[in-house]
Amino acid sequence: MSKRPIPLSFILLAAVVVHLPLLLAKMPLHSYDATFHIFFASHYLHHWMDPWNVKWYAGFSQTTYPPLPQQWVAVLSHVFGLIMAYMAVQFAAILLLAVGVYRFSRLWVNERAASFASLASVFLGSESFLVYGAGQLSTTSAAPIYLNALPYLFDWVRYGRWRSFLKALVLFMAAAAAHHATLIFGSMLFAVPVLALVFLDRNEGEPMSTPTFVARTATMAVVGGIAIAVVLLPFWIALIHNPVTQVPIPHASRANFALSPALGINYFIVPYGALMLVLPFILFRGAAVRRLRPLLLGFWLTFLIGLGGTTPVGHLLLGRAYEVITMERFTYWATLLSLPFVGLLSSELVDRFRMRAVVGLTVAAAFTCGLGVAWIIYKPAEDSQFSVDSAAAWLDRDGHDKYRYFTLGFSSKISELATYTNADSVDGEWNSGRTLPELTQHGGAALTKSKYFQKQGLDALRAMLAHADHYGLKWVLVRDPYYDPLLSFVGYRRVDTLENNTITIWGKDGIPPAVPVNSAYRPPQWQGLMWGTLPFGSSLLAILVVFIPDKRRPRDEEVEAPTPAEELVPGRLAI
Amino acid sequence: MKSGRWLPIIIVVVTALLIAISVLHPNQSAAALADAGTTGLLRPSTTPEAAVENLAREIGQRHWGSAYSRLANKSEFTEADFQRDLTGTYMSLRSYATLDHFEVRPQHASQNDAQELLKLHWSTVVGTFEDTKSLHVVKNGDRWQAEWPLVKEPRVPPQVIPVNYLRWDVIYRGAQDDWGAQDVESPHVRIVDMHPLERGDGVLIMGELLNEDVVPAYVSVKATLLAKSGAAIATEDSFDKISHLLLPKQVTPFLISFPGVELAQVASVRMEPSASLIAASADPVIAIEDQKLNPAPGASLTGKLVDQSGQVVNVVHVLGTFYDKNGKLVWVADHYMDRALLPQVPASFTIPIPPDIAGQVSSERAVTAIYSSGGFQ
Repeated sequence: MSKRPIPLSFILLAAVVVHLPLLLAKMPLHSYDATFHIFFASHYLHHWMDPWNVKWYAGFSQTTYPPLPQQWVAVLSHVFGLIMAYMAVQFAAILLLAVGVYRFSRLWVNERAASFASLASVFLGSESFLVYGAGQLSTTSAAPIYLNALPYLFDWVRYGRWRSFLKALVLFMAAAAAHHATLIFGSMLFAVPVLALVFLDRNEGEPMSTPTFVARTATMAVVGGIAIAVVLLPFWIALIHNPVTQVPIPHASRANFALSPALGINYFIVPYGALMLVLPFILFRGAAVRRLRPLLLGFWLTFLIGLGGTTPVGHLLLGRAYEVITMERFTYWATLLSLPFVGLLSSELVDRFRMRAVVGLTVAAAFTCGLGVAWIIYKPAEDSQFSVDSAAAWLDRDGHDKYRYFTLGFSSKISELATYTNADSVDGEWNSGRTLPELTQHGGAALTKSKYFQKQGLDALRAMLAHADHYGLKWVLVRDPYYDPLLSFVGYRRVDTLENNTITIWGKDGIPPAVPVNSAYRPPQWQGLMWGTLPFGSSLLAILVVFIPDKRRPRDEEVEAPTPAEELVPGRLAI
Repeated sequence: MKSGRWLPIIIVVVTALLIAISVLHPNQSAAALADAGTTGLLRPSTTPEAAVENLAREIGQRHWGSAYSRLANKSEFTEADFQRDLTGTYMSLRSYATLDHFEVRPQHASQNDAQELLKLHWSTVVGTFEDTKSLHVVKNGDRWQAEWPLVKEPRVPPQVIPVNYLRWDVIYRGAQDDWGAQDVESPHVRIVDMHPLERGDGVLIMGELLNEDVVPAYVSVKATLLAKSGAAIATEDSFDKISHLLLPKQVTPFLISFPGVELAQVASVRMEPSASLIAASADPVIAIEDQKLNPAPGASLTGKLVDQSGQVVNVVHVLGTFYDKNGKLVWVADHYMDRALLPQVPASFTIPIPPDIAGQVSSERAVTAIYSSGGFQ
C-alpha cells in the first residue's frame, strides 16, 4: 500500500460527497441556531450599513456580534436566496476546515499524517454536531480561518518572513470578523501551542534567538491587535457601553456531565465520537514526543474547559465569561487540536494493518460523523417542526404590525418568524444583544422558552407583560397552552387561531401602537459604515493576499515523523 | 524523557481530581442546570433527612416511579395516586409546575422513626406556591423511608347539573376586521375607590372598579404618577391584580405597583380605566363560603370556594379587598388556587394579610377570576 499522503483534492472531494448532500437537503435548518444567522443575514441584506435591528428586543445592535459569515450569506442570497446562501457559506467553511487542518497539522506531523488529519476533519463529530445540531455558522467559519493563519504565524515568528506576516495578519483579521468568542478564547488556545513549538524549534536548522522570538511575537500581537481592534471597533464600543452584566442564563453545556449524564452524551459523547478511543494515544504520544507536548497541553486545557461544569477549570479560567459563553465550542476546538494526533495514529495504523485499518477507520469515521449529523434528529431541539408562514402573514396583515409581538412555545422558530414578518418583537435569541431591563434582570433566555428557565424565565415573562403598554406589545402568539392561564389573568384575550388551532393569537385592548424605543446603544452612522465595510473587506483582502504565492520551503524546514529516539515510547505503534 | 514518562500520569490524575472536585462541589451553574438544584447525586438514605431529600429530588425530576418506590407506605396507594396527589387530576397550576427548590426541616427523631417537614417550592406560570408536608419517616433495616401523607381528592357522584345562568354574546363587525375595533360603545365602568400607599420599596395604588353597565365588560386599569411639574413619573397597570371580566354591576378590586417610587415625589395620580365589550357567561358560578378574618399573628382571610356548576375550573384566582371600620379600602391581596376546582367540591383558600395592615382590617370582600381551558376567560 502506498505511503504517500492523501491528495488534498481527494480530501476536498470527500467533503463534497459527505456534506454537500446534507447541505442541499438543508439539514442545518433542524439545528438550534441556523435560523438565527439567517435572521442576522436578512438584516444585512436590507440594511447593510445600519446595524440597528428593530425586529428583536424593540431594537438592538448587530454590532454585538461579528458579522462576516452573515454578511457573506446576505451577499450570496442575491444569487441563492437566504437559506441556500447559508448552506453555501457553511459548505465553504467545511472545505476551508479541511485545508486549515492540513496546514495546521503540517506544523506538528509529516505530510502523510497531516493528510489523514485533514481527511478526519471531514468526518469530525464536533463539526457535524455544530453544523447540523447547533447551527454555529460563526464558530465553524472562524476556526478554519484561524487554522489557516497559524502556519503563517509560525513562519513569521520562526523565520521572520514578511509575506507570512502579512498573510497571518489578514487571516487573523478575517477570523476575528467571523466570531468574537473564537477570537478572544480560541485564538489563544491555538496560537500559544504554535508559539511554544516555534520556541522549541528555535535551534533546529536556522537558529533564532529568544529576543528575536519575543520581538516577532510581540510585533504580531501588537499589529494584529490594532488591526483587529479597528476592524471590529463598533463591536468593542458596544461591548464597553453594554458589558454583559445581565443575570447569567443557564446553558446545558455548562452542566456537570457526571451529574447530568444525558447532557454528557450530548456535549461529550456525540462531539468526540470515535475520537474518545484516540485519547490514550494523544496522551502517550503527546507526552513522549517533545515537540508534540505544546499541542498535548493545549489540547488538554481545551478539553478540560470543554467539559463545562464537570471540572472547575472553565469557571476558574474564564471567570465571568464562563457564565456567558457556551462550552461546546471548546470541545470543538479540542477536537481540532487533536486532529494531528489522529492523523499520526491513522497513518501508522494504515501502514501496519493495511486494509483492516482502512476498514476500521472508515467505520469509526462514518459512525462519528453520522452520529453528529443525526443527533439533532434523535434529540430534536424542541418541537420545531411547524410552519411560521401563517403567523408571519397574520402579523403583516390589517395593520397588526403597528404593534409589537412575541411568541411563546415557538423555540428557535422565532428567528425564522422574525426574518419573514415586518412586525417587531420584544423577544429574540441573541442574549448579549438584549438591553431591555425586563429581560436582562432575570436569568431566562428567550421569552418564547420561558418555562424552561423556571422561575427566572417566568419572572422575565411577567415583567415584560407588565410593561406591554410601554412597548406597544399587543400580540402574543402562543403554541404552548402552558402559558394560557397567565395571559388570561393579565388581561389578554384569544383573538385568532392558526395552523389548525395549534397557534393561538392573544391580544390586549388599549395597547398603543409601538413607537421606536430611544436607546443609548444605537450605533451612530459612522459605526454602521465601518461595520458594513471593514469586516467584509478584511475577508476580501484575505482572499487576495492568500493567493500571493509562497516561497518554496527549504527541505530542512519540513516536519518529518518523530525521530527514531522518540519512536520507542509508550503509545508508539511499531511498524 | 523522564518528564515525558510522567506527563500522562500527571494529566490523568489531575483530570480525575478536577472531576472529583466538581462532583463533590458542583458550581452554581452546573447545579442550576441540574433541574434548578433539585438533582444531584442521591445520597444513601442512611438518615431521615437524606431519605426525604432523595424523595424531594426524585419528585423534582418528576421521576414518579423512583419517588414512589422510596415510600414506606406505598402499599396504601398506587403510583398513579401518588402522582395525582402532586400534579392534580385535572389540568391546573400543579400540572405543569416545576420544583424550584425544597427545604427539609427535622422535627423530631428517635431510633426508629422521625418526623420531617418538607417544604416544596413550586414555580408556575402565574407565580410560586409552597407545598408543605409533614412526613413520618421510618427505619427499614439500614435505610430510612418516608411515609407519604396522601390526600385523596373527593369526588361527587355522577349527576346532572342544570345550567340556567345568563350569557351574553357579541356580534362583531366581521371576521376580517381588526379585533378590538368595535362599533359599539364601550361598557360604562367607574372607579369607585382609589387609595395610594407607600409600602416597601415603592408606591401602591389600590382601588375598586365598578361595571355600571348592563353588559359584561373586559376591564383594565392604568395609573400614571405625576410629579408637581406635571411630568409623568411612571405608568403601570393592574396586571393580574384585578378581575378583568366584570359582569353587569360587579365590582373588582385592583392593585397597581410602582416599584422604586416614593410617595413624596407624587403630586397626583391619573387613573385610566378601560373597558371593552366581551362575550361572557355567568357560569360557572364560584361561591365563596365561610369567609373568616383571622387576627394576627398570622393574620389571613380564609374561606372555601364552591364551584356550583358542572364544569371543572382549571385555575381560580381569589382577590381579597380589606376595609377598615369606616369602610375605607386598606389593602388588596390575592391568591391562586394550585389545584383545579371540581364541581360541587369545596376548596379552602388562605390569603395572608401583612401584620401591619391586619390591625386596621375590620371587614373584607372576596371575588374570584377564573381560567378554564377552552372556556370563557
